[in-house]
Amino acid sequence: MKLRRRAFSLRARLYLFSGAILTLFAINVATHVWGSFARSESLIAYRDTVTASQLITDLAQSLEANRQQVLVLDTLRETTEQPLGDEERSSAFEELDAISQRLRRLGGLGGEGTEDYYRRLHESALRLLDDWRKFYDSYNQKEISIDSESGVSYNDTLQRLRELDQRQEFLAVQRSNAIDRTISITDRITVIGFVTTIAVTVFLVIALIRSTNASLLRLKTGAQRFGSGDLTHRIDARQDAGEIGDLARTFNDMSSKLQRAIDEVRSAKADADAANAAKSMFLANVSHELRTPLNAIIGYSEMLQDEMSDANPIDRDQFHHDLGTIIFSGRQLLSLINDILDLSKIETGKMQVGYETFNPASLVLQVCDSLSPLLVQRNNHLELNVDVDSVGDISSDRSKLQQIVTNLFSNACKFTENGTITVSTLRVDAAIHITVADTGIGMTEEQQEKVFEAFVQAEADTGTLYGGTGLGLAIVRDFCAMLGGDISLNSELGSGSTFEVKIPVAPTSDRASA
Amino acid sequence: MADASAPTILLVEDNEINRDMLVRRLTRAGHHVICAGDGEEALAKMHAQMPALVLLDMNLPVKDGWTTCREARANEHIQHIKIIALTAHAMDTDREAALAMGCDDYATKPIDFPSLLGKIAECLPE
Repeated sequence: MKLRRRAFSLRARLYLFSGAILTLFAINVATHVWGSFARSESLIAYRDTVTASQLITDLAQSLEANRQQVLVLDTLRETTEQPLGDEERSSAFEELDAISQRLRRLGGLGGEGTEDYYRRLHESALRLLDDWRKFYDSYNQKEISIDSESGVSYNDTLQRLRELDQRQEFLAVQRSNAIDRTISITDRITVIGFVTTIAVTVFLVIALIRSTNASLLRLKTGAQRFGSGDLTHRIDARQDAGEIGDLARTFNDMSSKLQRAIDEVRSAKADADAANAAKSMFLANVSHELRTPLNAIIGYSEMLQDEMSDANPIDRDQFHHDLGTIIFSGRQLLSLINDILDLSKIETGKMQVGYETFNPASLVLQVCDSLSPLLVQRNNHLELNVDVDSVGDISSDRSKLQQIVTNLFSNACKFTENGTITVSTLRVDAAIHITVADTGIGMTEEQQEKVFEAFVQAEADTGTLYGGTGLGLAIVRDFCAMLGGDISLNSELGSGSTFEVKIPVAPTSDRASA
Repeated sequence: MADASAPTILLVEDNEINRDMLVRRLTRAGHHVICAGDGEEALAKMHAQMPALVLLDMNLPVKDGWTTCREARANEHIQHIKIIALTAHAMDTDREAALAMGCDDYATKPIDFPSLLGKIAECLPE
């Protein structure tokens, strides 16, 4: 399984980076503070030890001095009988108080494992001081002897003092060692911390630069590819969260929007090109269609002119028939021009729909009646399923419906020989259905697909074989659409075609308001 | 009017009116004209009657003029027969396409008859 790297935004990266640096800095400062603290702790303890040592020396000297004084006074007392003066005594007491004060100071300094030594010293010193006080108090009372006991306590006290001194000396050495150790440890920690900080900082800086640079490089490459026209390219935004990821996604969005816009422009251009090509094709077709009847008109006219100008007698019947051909071709040319104009009006949206109320069944009957000569031409038989009353009036464009029926009927006559043409009308809900069915040549499915396009007849030759402009069904289809209806075709090659037109009985709302 | 010894011209045209008109005018001009209504019929008559010249309409049923011309040019029996294309398509490209297809000449409808006679005279042997 592939592990996905977690993406950090640029802001998050900078925050992380700053946080890491600050943390390392704080660790350095803390190490330094702890080192200083440990150092000063050790120094204070060492100083206490030194002070205690001095006090012990002082005490020993004071005790020695007092001992000498007591011994001298004791000798004097026995030999001279001279009493001790008040002044001398109070001075001696002050001295004793000073000693006990120093003793207390010594107790205050304490020190690890010195408590027992101090307690023992204190007990024995208090005893000695008591002895000496008693000595001074009872100096003038001859009957009390005191000297011997005082010597024992003195020696005892000195012994205790020496023990404490040794203990303090031991402590001093210990503390001095501890100071050395502390200094070396804190120094090492500080150095390690400092070096680590530098290493981590360098690593973070490089990582930050590399990751940011990689992100920016992806953006740059993507932007360059977009710029060079490769709009299918997508910048990989998964590896970047935050601003850079957003920027990448914005670039991608921009690219897809550009792509869409370009596609739209391209398709619009293709549409325009297709429309242009269709227009050219239409023009070429128009030119072709106009030339065919003109060929007959000019050809026959020139031929008749030739016949008139030579010496041969004129065959009047032939002459009459040829004039008829010219007229027929001229009319065909006219109807072609009219059809082209109609189509052009429809295409440019200039064809108006004029609504009026009329009976479509009567209209169908009229058209069939007026076109009955076409029926006779190819010996076709007409069947009518038209009931004027059941169909009723509708509101639509009479002339357009008339042209629809005319075109369908004349088409049926054109493509059917010795067959039957059936015209039916039927009202279904809000629509009128007009069906024109023939038993003529019919069409293949391929032909049916194209038959409503302008200038298309089932075969290129159909127009010349059967006449017609190839525009009739295109006009029928467009007129049906304009009237809000539609036209459908059902045909089989060889067995005839059925066209069914459905026209609403009243204009649909959007058409009426238009 | 038609000279019995005159070379035969095959007119291939599906539009009855135009066919009738051209047959009559060419006959009047002294040519011997036979007719065909589509490409298949034209090829059959080229084989059967060996006309000296074919006036070939390009818009034909069953087999159009382009195909007919191509097939005639590919067939060693009839490939020597001269062909003048007739069409209502009046674009320059149509003319070039017809000449490229192997037609010897080209005439647009409506036919300029004197000019057509000139082209026929050029194509026919003396």
